[in-house]
Amino acid sequence: MNALPFLIIIPLFGAFSMPIVKLIGEKLRDIWAVIISAATLGVAVDVFYTIWKTNQIVVYTLGATTPLGKGVGFPIRIVWEVDLLGALIAVTIAFVSLLAIVYSLEYMKHDTGLDKYYTLILILELGMLGIVITGDIFNFYVFLEIMSIASYALVAFRNDTWEGIEAGIKYMFVGSLASSFILLGIALLYGQYGTLTMAYLSQYITREPTLISKVALAFILGGLLFKSGAVPVHMWLADAHPAAPSSISAMLSGLVIKAGGVYAIARILFSIYSISLNIKAIGWIVIFFACLTLIVGNAMAVVQTDMKRLFAFSSVGQIGYILLGIGIGIAAYGTKVGDIALAGAIYHTVNHAIMKALLFLVAGAVLHEVGTKNLNELSGLAKRMPLTSFAFLVGAAAIIGLPPLNGFASKWLIYESSALYNPFLAAIAILGTAFCTAAYIRVLFTFFGKESEKVKAAKDPGKAMVIPMILLIIAIILMGLLPWQINDSIMLPTAKMLEESGKYVLAVLGG
Amino acid sequence: MFGYWDALYFIYVLIIGLVISYILMKWGEKASMGTRRVGDGTKVYLSGEDEDEVIPQFEHLRGYFTGRHVMWGLIRGINRMFITFRREHTGLLTDYVAYLLVTVAIILGVLIIWG
Repeated sequence: MNALPFLIIIPLFGAFSMPIVKLIGEKLRDIWAVIISAATLGVAVDVFYTIWKTNQIVVYTLGATTPLGKGVGFPIRIVWEVDLLGALIAVTIAFVSLLAIVYSLEYMKHDTGLDKYYTLILILELGMLGIVITGDIFNFYVFLEIMSIASYALVAFRNDTWEGIEAGIKYMFVGSLASSFILLGIALLYGQYGTLTMAYLSQYITREPTLISKVALAFILGGLLFKSGAVPVHMWLADAHPAAPSSISAMLSGLVIKAGGVYAIARILFSIYSISLNIKAIGWIVIFFACLTLIVGNAMAVVQTDMKRLFAFSSVGQIGYILLGIGIGIAAYGTKVGDIALAGAIYHTVNHAIMKALLFLVAGAVLHEVGTKNLNELSGLAKRMPLTSFAFLVGAAAIIGLPPLNGFASKWLIYESSALYNPFLAAIAILGTAFCTAAYIRVLFTFFGKESEKVKAAKDPGKAMVIPMILLIIAIILMGLLPWQINDSIMLPTAKMLEESGKYVLAVLGG
Repeated sequence: MFGYWDALYFIYVLIIGLVISYILMKWGEKASMGTRRVGDGTKVYLSGEDEDEVIPQFEHLRGYFTGRHVMWGLIRGINRMFITFRREHTGLLTDYVAYLLVTVAIILGVLIIWG
């Protein structure tokens, strides 16, 4: 039996049954949220393992056995199509979401309206999962909106502060505008080619790349760069991510900008447009925005005094690395350098999800215990919150790219490929890392500095908050100890499968 | 395929490093006020202020030059950059819209010309 639909059914069922479960008891509501997200993780792992073992793309048609219409040779039904990239990101989404929900059990204990919170968090998860499994571009848009709307609401969940409300409204207004750009691009593609199935669109665009398809790509790419928080359309991110509760910030920075941003960019460029347009031009567009993003994002992180805002800007910077990998992957399509760059980008997407989730959970623990996220007031925290400080140390070292942690391997791949492709790009990437190091060392000095009055009463948080952090630390260290094995057995095959757009088309249309 | 960078890349990086240092030095010279290359009729300020505030042959600009050292200018330049960053504004929605439009316009322009 194909387990794929359960990736959507389970969180959807969990989300809408939450208000009923809450009527039975609040304890059960919390357990229900954990069970649902754990089951989703189980399905995601199963789907990933199936695809990884067989090296075959999984296709599921909604309401029929084949996407093709009766008596016609083209697809008319909604298809879900998952390759290794989709499955890998799905596992990451399910894993981090589960940890965020477990963390919320204690972190959100004092908040009210938690049934709404868990409903929204599960809807956010299913929106992201939908994005990574769909093979239909309008269905992709629907899931993108499901994800976006859930995140607007979650950013403003703590509506007793002006910060959350302002960020939520701002995020909603501009996010909707970016979404409408994406929708406009999709409408143009549909008007031109008369189909919404990605595989079929790819076939058409390869055969006949028109001006309209280029205009559509510009709108879609612009909207998706916004969603991934690339410079110069990154400002919403610095407001929205710090304003949300920390468990949500972990999901926004770790997952939302990946699934709705860089993953979508890779999918559209490789699977739909593949090599039909000038790959050098498209590659350099992405590289241009990547360089801007990784310099500005990391440099902006250096000057922040708000810890969560610093992490948010650091996310902008890290998105720059991922975009750089994708850009080189396109520009050097079909070469070894392109493979390495793409594998690095995919690897960094997974790594950054784990590292940034850990860092935001640390920020949440600090905020929970000390009541402030202002770095000027957090001096000497390490003595009072040793475990949290250790978690920060691991997360920061990993994000800077220190061996033997996971960030090193993925960044190395990106440096290596950029140096091979164009040494100037490697220099920019390393400059970005210098800023990144400066930003995190500042926080480190704060944590290990002289103890301030404010932190005297602080202590490490309870089990429900500590366990997710420990699990993330273990993941970071394990992935750091086996970097090349993970790269050779998972990341490179994933990159190769993404590059083979012909396989993606054939999986749906048969052949 | 996973080879660590071979010697060639270290040389690459070194050369890039030198080029960047040179560009930064030039920028530092520009950002600092009053530092000039040594030559006939020029003054060299190693550090601090130029007390008489005059650069030979630039007497008409008296007072504009304070004679800071290149390195100081560089530090000031970087400092100024970060001050600009610190003054980040995340306010107006119209700005967001403008940035989004500019992004789409850049992509569209490149795609139409070279795509």
